[in-house]
Amino acid sequence: MWNIVRLIGLVFSVTSLLFAQAQATGGLTGKLTDASGASVVNAAVTATNIDNGQTRTAITGADGGYQFTVLPPGNYRVRFEAQGFKTLEIASVTIGATRVIADGKLEPGTSIPSLGDLGITPDQSQGSAQDQARLDKRSHMLKIHQRLGSITIAPLVATLSAANGAAGHKSTASERDLHAILGGVTAGMYLTTASFAIFAPKIAGTPTRGPIRVHKALAWIHGPGMILTPILGSLALEQRNRGEKVHGIASAHGAVAAVTAAAYGAAMLSVMVKF
Amino acid sequence: MNWKIFSGFLALTSLVGADGQWVLASSTLTYHVSHPIHQSEGASHAARGKGVCQGGQCNFLIAVPVKSFESGDTNRDLHMVQVTHGAQFPLVSVRVSLAEAALTSASIRCDVEIEFAGQAAKYKDVAFQALTKGNETRITGSIPATLSDFKIAAPSLLSIPVRNEMPVRVDMTWHPM
Repeated sequence: MWNIVRLIGLVFSVTSLLFAQAQATGGLTGKLTDASGASVVNAAVTATNIDNGQTRTAITGADGGYQFTVLPPGNYRVRFEAQGFKTLEIASVTIGATRVIADGKLEPGTSIPSLGDLGITPDQSQGSAQDQARLDKRSHMLKIHQRLGSITIAPLVATLSAANGAAGHKSTASERDLHAILGGVTAGMYLTTASFAIFAPKIAGTPTRGPIRVHKALAWIHGPGMILTPILGSLALEQRNRGEKVHGIASAHGAVAAVTAAAYGAAMLSVMVKF
Repeated sequence: MNWKIFSGFLALTSLVGADGQWVLASSTLTYHVSHPIHQSEGASHAARGKGVCQGGQCNFLIAVPVKSFESGDTNRDLHMVQVTHGAQFPLVSVRVSLAEAALTSASIRCDVEIEFAGQAAKYKDVAFQALTKGNETRITGSIPATLSDFKIAAPSLLSIPVRNEMPVRVDMTWHPM
C-alpha cells in the first residue's frame, strides 16, 4: 500500500515537473506583409534574447507566416530581413508562458542589406540540429578515444618493461605470465580505444588534412601490430613453457611489438603537437 | 532633346553618389586561439558583404560560413565547427553601422554587432584602418572577440582549455557597386 502511495506521488511529481517545464517556454508567431498587404515569403526573422544574446532564426513561408514554437521567457529583439525591403526591427517583445503574435510590415528599399542581398539562400542560413548532434557525438567519441589512448600508454610501457624479464633464457614462468597479462590488458585497452575512433560518426565531404593524416596513416601500422603482437606472443609463450627456444614466426614477436609501440607513440605525438 | 537626356543622366549619377552601395570584393578573416603549448589560426576567404549608404548613414552586412574557416588541420576545423555549434548555426553575420563621412577617413571607429553560434554580441568602438586606392577601399583591423561572448565551451588539449580570447583579424577589400 505504501509503495502505491509512493508511486502515485512520483507520477504526480513528474507530471508537475513536465507541466512546469511546458509553462516555462512560450512562443512567437506572426505574419510578414509588404506595404500593399501581400505576404513576404522567404524573409529571415531573427529573435535575439536581449538578456543573454541567444538568437533563433526562422524563415517566412508561402503565407508570410513564421513561428518560433519554443522560446524561453524573456525580452526579445525581433528583426525581419527580406531582399528588396528595408530591414524592420521590433526593439522589444516580451515572451512569457503563452504565444505572442508579432506581425511585421516591410517597406520597399535597401537601406540595410539582408542575407538575401548577399545571395545567401534560406537553406544556407538554416542549420540542422541533427547535423549538430552528429558532430557532438563525433567529438564526444573522439574525446574518449583521446583519453583512453593516453591511459593505454601506462600498460603499454609496463608490458615493454616486463618484456626483458620474460624474454631471457633464465626467465621464469611467472615473469612470462606477468608480461602476457600486461600485454593482454594493453591489447584490450587499445582495441577499445580504436573502436571509439572507428565507430565515431563520419562527416561526409570532409577531406583529411594536417597532422590527423599522419595519425591515421600510423594506425595502419600499430593497428595490425596490436593484433599480431599478442598472437605471436602467445605462440612464443607456449614454446617457452614447453622448454623450447622461441622459433619460427613467434621469434618475430619482439620486433613486431617494438615497431607497434613506436608507431603508437608517434601517432600520439602527431596529435599532441597540434590540437 | 540631347540636353534633356544629359541632364537626366547627371541627376541619376548624383543620386547614385548620394545613396551608394558597396560590395565586398575579397576578404580574409582569421581567428586566433591560444593554448599554453600551442597557438592556432583559422582563416576564411568565403565572406560575402554588402554596404548600403543612404542619407549619410551606411549599413554593412558581412556573412561568412562557419565551416569555411581552415586551420590546416581538418580534425581541428571539425572540432571548431562542433564547439561553435556551426552545424546548427552555419553563418557568422557581422553588422556595422556608421556615418558615410567616416568612410573617407584613414581610421574608422565603429560598433560591430556579431551573430555567431546562436548568440549575438556587440563590440563598441572597434578601430579599423582604411586605405583607398583607385575605386577600392581596403579595411583592416581586429575584433576583440572572446569565446565566452558567444557562450562557447573552450576546446582543450591534454585537458587544458584554450584561452578565452579569440581575436579575429579582418582584411577586406570593398568596391563601390
